[in-house]
Amino acid sequence: MSRALLLSTLFYGLLLAGLVALRSELIAFALPFVVYLFSAMWRAPESIDLRVERKFSTERTTPDSEIIVKMTVMNQGADLEELLIEDKIPSTLTVRLGSPRHLLRLPKGSSFTFEYTVSGPRGSYPFEAFHAEATDMLGLIQRKQIIPTSGQLFVFPNVQRLKNVAIRPRRTRVYAGTIPARVGGVGTEFFGVRDYQPGDPTRTINWRASARHSENLYSNEFQQERVADVGIVLDGRETANVFHGGRSIFDHSVLAAAALADAFLHQGNRVGLLVYSNYLGWTLPGYGKVQRERILQSLARAQVGESSVFAGLQHLSPRMFPAESQIVLVSTLVQDDLDILIQLRARGYQVMAVSPDPVSFEVGLLPVMEDVTLATRVVRMERNLLIRRLQRAGIQVIEWDVSRPFDQAMRSALMRPHLDISRRVS
Amino acid sequence: MTFFTLMISIVLSVGSLAWGYAGIGLIPLARWLIFCGIIWLVSQWRRWWWVSSVMLIVVVLVAGLGLWVEISPGWMFSGGIFALLAWDLTDFRRRTQFAAIDDDQRGIERRHIARVTLIALAGLALSSIAMFTRIQFTFEWAVLLVIVILLGLTQLVGWFKK
Repeated sequence: MSRALLLSTLFYGLLLAGLVALRSELIAFALPFVVYLFSAMWRAPESIDLRVERKFSTERTTPDSEIIVKMTVMNQGADLEELLIEDKIPSTLTVRLGSPRHLLRLPKGSSFTFEYTVSGPRGSYPFEAFHAEATDMLGLIQRKQIIPTSGQLFVFPNVQRLKNVAIRPRRTRVYAGTIPARVGGVGTEFFGVRDYQPGDPTRTINWRASARHSENLYSNEFQQERVADVGIVLDGRETANVFHGGRSIFDHSVLAAAALADAFLHQGNRVGLLVYSNYLGWTLPGYGKVQRERILQSLARAQVGESSVFAGLQHLSPRMFPAESQIVLVSTLVQDDLDILIQLRARGYQVMAVSPDPVSFEVGLLPVMEDVTLATRVVRMERNLLIRRLQRAGIQVIEWDVSRPFDQAMRSALMRPHLDISRRVS
Repeated sequence: MTFFTLMISIVLSVGSLAWGYAGIGLIPLARWLIFCGIIWLVSQWRRWWWVSSVMLIVVVLVAGLGLWVEISPGWMFSGGIFALLAWDLTDFRRRTQFAAIDDDQRGIERRHIARVTLIALAGLALSSIAMFTRIQFTFEWAVLLVIVILLGLTQLVGWFKK
C-alpha cells in the first residue's frame, strides 16, 4: 500500500468519523495528518532531469583486473530533496571499492561525482542504464527514471604469447609472410635446384651440382614464404565443455583460441574466428591489430550454449573458409566430430585440433575412488582411439593438459611442423 | 540519530496512549498497548518495515476511540503524532540503508529529522488551536467539511491516476 494512500485514508477516515459522530476532536486529530500530506505534496519532485556521464579507467581489461568507473550526475531540473541514484552494473561484475549507489540531495544546477571499482571474469559488459529515484523530503511521493547511458566494458581473456605456430596449409595468399608456400622463389629455406637463368645472383649458384654437369650451371631455389588464411573454430557446445557439477573447461578453450589468434595475426596471416555454440558467431577474416581487437571482443562475448541445431559440427561449412586453408579447431573433441573433421580434411583443408584434455580436467573434479579410476581408464582409451583416428586422417591433434599454462605446455608442440601420418600410412 | 529518535517516538506514542487509557481505569487495554509497543520496538531491530504502517493504523484507531470515550485529548494527540513520527522515521531508515558509506548520511538525517519535527509541531499546533477555539459544530460547518472532503478526494484520485 502506498504511504500517501495510507495517510489519506487515515485523514479522511478521521474526518468522516468526526462528521458522523459530530465530534470536533476527531477532526482536530486529523489535522497533523493533512499537514504532513500537504508538506510532502508541496515539495514533491515534478520530474527528474539529470545528465549522466560515465568514464572507465580502461575499457579493455583482463579477468579480475580492477576498473575504476567515474560517474558524474548533473541536475538540470529543479531541486531534488532526496535522490537515490544507482549505476546498474551487470550482475557478474563485482564491486571491489566504493558503491554504485548513493543517496544525496542534489540542488538545481549542481553536480555529484562518485567513483567505484569493479572487476569481473571474461565477458562483454554493457552499461546501459542509470537508475534515479527522487522523493519529496518526507519520502511520500516518488519519481523514478531510468536514464539510458552508453558504455561497454570488455574483459578479454588473457592472451599468452606464442612465439611461432608452425602451419602448412596447401594454399597461401600472395603476400610475403612466414609460412612455406610450397613454391620456389625468394626465401630462406632450401626448396630445390634448377637451371641457372640469366639474372640469378651468383651466390645462388649451386657450384657442386654445376661441377658435376659441366655443360650447364644450376641455381639453388628457395621456398617462398607467404601469409595464409587461418580459420579458428572455437567449440562452445555444452556437451563438449560442461562436466561434473556444472564445471566448464570452456574458459581454457577461449584462452587457447586467443593465444593462437594472436600468434597467427602476429605472423601476418589473415585470421577469422567462428564461435560454434548455440549460434554461429562469425568474425570475418582480417589482418592486423584491428582484427585482433575484433577477435578478442568476440572471445570476450563467447559463451557455452546448448542447441539441438548445433549439437554436432555438421554446420561447420567449408564455404566459411577459403579453399585449402588452415582450420584450427579448439575443442575437447567428442566422438561424433570424427566424420566432420575427416570430411574437412578430405576437402583439402589443413586441420589442426587443439584439444584441452577433458579427462584430466574432469578427474580433478571427482573424488578418488576405484570406480572413478576405472571409468577414467575407459574414457582415456576412447579418447586416445579418437585422437589416433584423427591423426590417421591427417589431422594434427595437440592435446593440452589444462593444469599447465597453455604457452608453456604447447610451445614445443605448436612450433613443430605437422608430420602427416596419413601420407606415410598410405 | 534516526534510530534513537525513532525509539523515543515509539515509546512516547505507545506510552501516551497507555497512560491515557490507564488514567480512566482501562488497565488491560493499556497493557495490550505496551505489548504492541514492544513488538513495534523489536520490529525495528528485525527490520520488519511493514509493522510501522500497521501500528500507525492501530494507534490512530485506538486514539480515535479514546477521543470518542472522552479520554484527555492531549494524550491521544500525542500518541497519534508520535506514531506518525515513528512511521515516517521507519521509512526514512529503510531509504537510508541504500546510502553509501561516503554519503553525507548524517546531514541527510539531520535535515530530515528537523523537517519532520517542524511538520509534527505545526500539526500539533493546528490541532491545539482547533481544540481551543472549539467552534460550534453546526450544519453549515458539516456541509463545508463534506465539500472539502469531496474536493480533496477528487484531487487525490486525480493525483493517484497521474
